[in-house]
Amino acid sequence: MFEEKIEEFEPIFYPKSIAVIGASTTSIKAGSVWVWALKTAGFPGSIYPVGSKSGCIADLEIFPNLRLIFGEVDYVIVAIPRQSVLELLDDCVAKNVKAVQFFTAGFSEMDAQQGYRLEQQMLEKARRGNLRIIGPNCIGVYCPEHKIPFPLVKLGESGSVGFISQSGGIAAKLVTIGIARHINYSKVVSFGNGIDLDAGDFLQYLAADPKTETIGAYFEGTRDGVSLFNIIKEVARSKPLVVWKGGRTEAGAQAATSHTGSLASSAAVWSAMLKQAGAIEVHNLEELTDTLLIFQQLKCLQGTRAAVIGGLADGGGGNSVAAGDACMENGLKVPPLSPETKRKLGELLGEVGSILRNPVDVSQAQFRGLETLFQSIDLVARDTAIDVILIQEDIDILLPIYAWKGLEEINDFFIELGSRQNKPIIVVLPHGSAESERMQIEQKLLAASVPVFCSMERAAKAIYNINQYSCWQEARQRKL
Amino acid sequence: MVKSQNLLTEVESKALLKKAGIPIVEAKLARSKKEAISISNEMGFPVVLKISSTDVVHKSDSGGVKLGLANATQAGKAYSEILSSIKRAYPQAQIDGVSVQPMAAPGVEVIVGMSKDPQFGPVLMFGLGGILVEVLKDVSFRIVPVTARDAKAMIREIKGYPVLEGYRGQKPASIPALEKLIVKVSQFVEKNPQIRELDLNPIFAYSDKAVAVDARIILE
Repeated sequence: MFEEKIEEFEPIFYPKSIAVIGASTTSIKAGSVWVWALKTAGFPGSIYPVGSKSGCIADLEIFPNLRLIFGEVDYVIVAIPRQSVLELLDDCVAKNVKAVQFFTAGFSEMDAQQGYRLEQQMLEKARRGNLRIIGPNCIGVYCPEHKIPFPLVKLGESGSVGFISQSGGIAAKLVTIGIARHINYSKVVSFGNGIDLDAGDFLQYLAADPKTETIGAYFEGTRDGVSLFNIIKEVARSKPLVVWKGGRTEAGAQAATSHTGSLASSAAVWSAMLKQAGAIEVHNLEELTDTLLIFQQLKCLQGTRAAVIGGLADGGGGNSVAAGDACMENGLKVPPLSPETKRKLGELLGEVGSILRNPVDVSQAQFRGLETLFQSIDLVARDTAIDVILIQEDIDILLPIYAWKGLEEINDFFIELGSRQNKPIIVVLPHGSAESERMQIEQKLLAASVPVFCSMERAAKAIYNINQYSCWQEARQRKL
Repeated sequence: MVKSQNLLTEVESKALLKKAGIPIVEAKLARSKKEAISISNEMGFPVVLKISSTDVVHKSDSGGVKLGLANATQAGKAYSEILSSIKRAYPQAQIDGVSVQPMAAPGVEVIVGMSKDPQFGPVLMFGLGGILVEVLKDVSFRIVPVTARDAKAMIREIKGYPVLEGYRGQKPASIPALEKLIVKVSQFVEKNPQIRELDLNPIFAYSDKAVAVDARIILE
């Protein structure tokens, strides 16, 4: 599906050379920031800074004009005022550039008449010159595999999550959260006003891209709802598609209109459209990143019967109750464990001070050693009435009892259990006073493909979302 | 503001819907008392008489609707009463006559409607009728074309779904009949882009079928 997009978008995500228009020897200019970002990230192709003042930036000579660059230029990043963009497009066409990304803002998003007219003139030039436009009013492409960063944002590891965004701010935020939480991207695109290439084109590309397994999207509006609906329908068939629609409230919608110059339509119709097309709708940045994370780590998850282990050492009682509520309220099931599992757990832990139904309180294991803790969790994980295991791990409580070494052993066990079981192990690490140890454990688990969340609610919501995709796929296949 | 020439009467709306295979309680226009009686006789009692005028917005509030008329005498009397109360309430209204239709047995009330979204085009709405749709906004939407699977999902999506399954000994509504009706409405609006809005309100859902009791169509 959409295979033709791969070749078409090659110069956008894997250009051999990039020219940056609006570079200067002063490093605070947007163009200069881009040159430095590409250089620092280690972009493997040629970088050509272009600017009105001669000199050098990042050891690269600044060219006075695009046409004076000797070699071929695949891709152009533009950070000059809007008055000069038409002339620049003529240069791009003359130079046989494949795609141009405009960071330049001040078009239809700001000025509905004049800005729109200018966009139409740009589009006309691009069509005639056989070149594609990304933006304007956007930060363009992030492709860690080809060492293309966003300006002012670190380059993360290359991975399997693709993300498209109307907003540059949200695209950049996804990348930084991704670096913190091991959400690794194949490609991220901010397409701004999307006058030429827009959401639909990039969705089709990511659907075809062999490097991308899960797709996320942030929209504020669309110019052609019906076409977007049909594309989402097609794309969601091949890969999970997680969508956050901004501008759901009227206050939000007003900001959307002035932001990217598109009309925000009613929230109910958008929700219906996403559901109908088979996309997973999320409602905020946390839910978006949580859902992308769980898809990346688990690929798929079938069934919502959760075993909840509320506490590993002390303080398991109240936490277990609260954790059970959080799961149920977010659409998961917390069924009682089988009598067999219960009996064996009782033998291991003793009845006093334990809760052996579900949620499970295994805190009595602290008096019997880590091996008992591991055996208990293993028993719960083997129960056939359970699809997924959720473990609340409170570093503040575990650290004084087991010390750092014990903590490492516990988490090694989770990683080992997660890879041995075909049932996912999901860890909840609540914030507390031992934040630096908590973060170390989080990094360790995430790097080993164990999904980690900071609250039961967020974990439960993410599990619900990934399961929804399995249900939808199953229903669709039954129908075929 | 809807111009009255864009608004089809109930009789006109139902005629179009019937042609499209959407189940409706058929209504005929009577232009005189005599005609009202003869149509009533032909349809069988009890019947319902309603004012037919695109200028009358609130039909029942202004005395324009008479339900459960058991015989020819009642039907004739109802015809005269409707005309005089409408002439009082809407002196300027242009009146086509009075529509006559059989009185449908009570069923679970649901609503199916269509409006056009500026970005996604025609959108169907489904909900339980009456207070649930107006106050609780317990409705679901799907974009046209609505497939059988979409219809199935949109019916199950509303919070009031258990009411359709037959809550506390109430007779259940036929979900397959509602699914079929929704798909037919989707096909109907797809084929008729000149329709701007449509309301089938109420539809009576029974254990074996679903029938639109009232209908209005607004053209572009």
